[in-house]
Amino acid sequence: MKKIEAVIQPHKLEEVKEALKGIGVDGMTITEVRGHGRQKGHKEVYRGMEYQVDLLPKIKLEAVVSNDRVDEVTSTIAKAARTGKIGDGKIFIYDVVDAIRIRNDDRGESAL
Amino acid sequence: MPSGSATTIVERALSDMQVLAERTASCDAIVRSAYASDLEGKLPCAILAVGGFGRAELFPHSDVDIMLLVESADAAQAAKADLSTFLRNLWDSGIRLSHSVHTVEECCQIHDGNTELSISLLDQRLLSGVPGLYEKLEKKLPDFVRTKALVLTRRLAELARSRHSKYHATIYHLEPDIKETCGGMRDLHLVQWFGKIAGKSFPPELMSSRDFLFRLRFGLHQRAGRDKNVLDFESQDALSSQPEELMRDYYRHARAVHRCALWMIDAAETTKDKSLLEQFRSWRGRLSNSDFTVSRDQVLARSPQQLRHDLALVLRMFAFTSRHGLLLAADTEARLLEFHAQPEDFKWPAASSLMRMPRAAWALRQMNATGVLNKVLPEWKEIECLVVRDFYHRYTVDEHTIVALEAIEPPHDARLATLLEETGRVELLRLALVFHDIGKGDGDHVRESAEIVRKVMTRWDAPPEDIDTVEFLVLHHITLSGVMSKRDLADPSTARDLAGQVGTIEHLKLLTLLTYADISAVYPGAMTPWRLEQLWRVYLATHEELTRELETHRIPAAIEGVSSEEAALLAGLPARFLRTHSKTEIAKIVKLAREQQEEQTAVAIDRYQGAWRATILATDRPALFASLAGALAGFGFNILKAEAFANARGVVLDTFAFEDPHRNLEQNPEEVDRLQRVLVRTALGKHNVSQVLEGRKRAHKQKRTMQPKVGVSNLAVDNATLVEVLAEDRPGLLHDLASVISTAGYDIDVVLIDTEAHKALDVFYLKRPGGGQVPEEAHAALRQQLTEACRS
Repeated sequence: MKKIEAVIQPHKLEEVKEALKGIGVDGMTITEVRGHGRQKGHKEVYRGMEYQVDLLPKIKLEAVVSNDRVDEVTSTIAKAARTGKIGDGKIFIYDVVDAIRIRNDDRGESAL
Repeated sequence: MPSGSATTIVERALSDMQVLAERTASCDAIVRSAYASDLEGKLPCAILAVGGFGRAELFPHSDVDIMLLVESADAAQAAKADLSTFLRNLWDSGIRLSHSVHTVEECCQIHDGNTELSISLLDQRLLSGVPGLYEKLEKKLPDFVRTKALVLTRRLAELARSRHSKYHATIYHLEPDIKETCGGMRDLHLVQWFGKIAGKSFPPELMSSRDFLFRLRFGLHQRAGRDKNVLDFESQDALSSQPEELMRDYYRHARAVHRCALWMIDAAETTKDKSLLEQFRSWRGRLSNSDFTVSRDQVLARSPQQLRHDLALVLRMFAFTSRHGLLLAADTEARLLEFHAQPEDFKWPAASSLMRMPRAAWALRQMNATGVLNKVLPEWKEIECLVVRDFYHRYTVDEHTIVALEAIEPPHDARLATLLEETGRVELLRLALVFHDIGKGDGDHVRESAEIVRKVMTRWDAPPEDIDTVEFLVLHHITLSGVMSKRDLADPSTARDLAGQVGTIEHLKLLTLLTYADISAVYPGAMTPWRLEQLWRVYLATHEELTRELETHRIPAAIEGVSSEEAALLAGLPARFLRTHSKTEIAKIVKLAREQQEEQTAVAIDRYQGAWRATILATDRPALFASLAGALAGFGFNILKAEAFANARGVVLDTFAFEDPHRNLEQNPEEVDRLQRVLVRTALGKHNVSQVLEGRKRAHKQKRTMQPKVGVSNLAVDNATLVEVLAEDRPGLLHDLASVISTAGYDIDVVLIDTEAHKALDVFYLKRPGGGQVPEEAHAALRQQLTEACRS
């Protein structure tokens, strides 16, 4: 099992969710986060004054999937979240040791 | 699926109420028997039922609280093993037991960290025990309660206040915890305890509310098979086939209970108190006037019977309570509950002055609680106590609306608070909030709400342009939140689309504040820093676009539905002009343009939104705008708003809205003519304003507290330079700023000036003579000169 963690642009969330639903991935955790990568924020002008905006609002999406679905899921996320511009985000993949469904103690992939 | 109608379930629960007494009786028997077998003869003690058990109100799954009254702590320690057996046997018999062990002396003392002990004794009842011990308590307890009444009531009030604050001091939760929340069972107990301490019986007017809450809790326990007190959506459906009606009944009862509890809490906090707070409160008594008296922060009318029908008096009362943050006395509330008025008697002057009050939400809350709001605005009834279920909202629609109004009094975020100061029409923003969800229920609530607000404001005889603004805000109240989550804010088309929908910076500010308030009122903490940042970014991007398009979006030479004469005047003016001027206003300016063609200059002066307005059409010449601004300042007028645009033919249209603090124009009609003559001469370059102004400036010399901010940028548009000035307003400021620009040799292409709360927000677009931006290397000097002009 792998945990897929994607940091994406907020306005892409709906599209990514729909795309994941389309390939049968319904379970996910969404968090509103702020941060920057190499983009390092940008300058905005308000009332003729320039302001450095460092931490930009982003969405973090996490989903745990079986090993054989990793490529399919990551490429679906990337395709749906891509605008081609700086700030589109990143996807990270982690190993997951085990999973437990609290309701009935199911373990491993059957708990997903 | 509902398992029965509202009445059947609740009635069945009522018949089941006997079970409360039966369960109490059966628990009594179990405890007595356990005492007889495990403790009698081993530990000299008395067993008391306390809490709900003491009151003989044991709900199917509530805890059973007992107290063991002992001679001494040592005696209890010595019989520890027997005590354990007693408690274990009770647990094994299926009772969910809570117990405590105390001596008579402990029971008759105030314990700082354990007020609950003293409170629990108010409900105590003897079950079993050795003779003598309980009698000792019975003898001492009444004296203790009597002598410590003040402390006990204070502690009770403190505990209640802290419990209420956990529930955000409101009864209007969509899924209330009917035991702990405001207006719930705990508040009923509170009323009972206050009564017991004061030797008074339970208020008969709360009996039906007590029955209702009992039945609900009984139903919840029966359904869940455990001590469940949250009336969640599922339970609402299960307990009634008309859950909406069930909830409206619930809020009605909870409101009565909460109101009574609050009166008692307030009385407890103020009784015979010589503290600083009391001194402050008696000082507040001096707020009393010919209409109202203030006693202990509560307002009473001097002619209370008039509160039943005198709309003007009632409105003055709410203005009074909100201005000073006062509560309504019980008698006042009771009379207001019987208030009657014709909605037709409530008109725009009353509505707008209510909405302009510093703490309008305070008044709205009291008007809602006393039903007065329903009487003057019958449309409100539709959302009163209305539960609309979704994943996010935690309050009923009326409560959400009032919390939204509170969220901008003022906004927590400094940037939004500044925006609020800058919007001159806070009453329109608040009205938009009052109406934004009034069409909730079925169908498209945005459209419904917009229709209702137009109908109501028309009934009030509100000015048509104000109706348009409020309707616009209601129609777009979810637009910004949609953009926040669904559009790419970095994409220029997002800002362009939004700027097109919003139209003006004034609308954008109002809409941003409306969105802030609406999101903040969904549930506590809904306006996360993340969302705030998103909202601010939407505002910034749209603000930038609207400022940019002032220069770039011009009215084309030919537009539909416009005569050729009008088109000749309009062509080349910023597109904003069409959004901020009605057809009638445009027709007036066209008339003025005819005059201008003959005379070179034409000036019109009229009244405008409680102030004055001068409209000047002239052929452009250097320093024209600076001179006109100076001429107005020379008369002693304060410029509130100004616009200067040039059309394609090189005719300049300057508009100034100004205030006449000495009411010269109003009292001396000939002064209007003189002003007109001076403006014409100024526009023709035949009037020197500098001298007059020097004298005025010296007279108004004062220390400035606000640091001016001046921005000069070539990034906004390609062919002009944007200058934005944010400074403390003063007479002649606009003239000085415009003079700096003219002296530096630049032409002013577009000007947009606004002043609010002693602040001037000025936007200029400059060009070099013959076209082109101000060179980058000249920015610093220009910025410096403008900053100095603001400081002088």
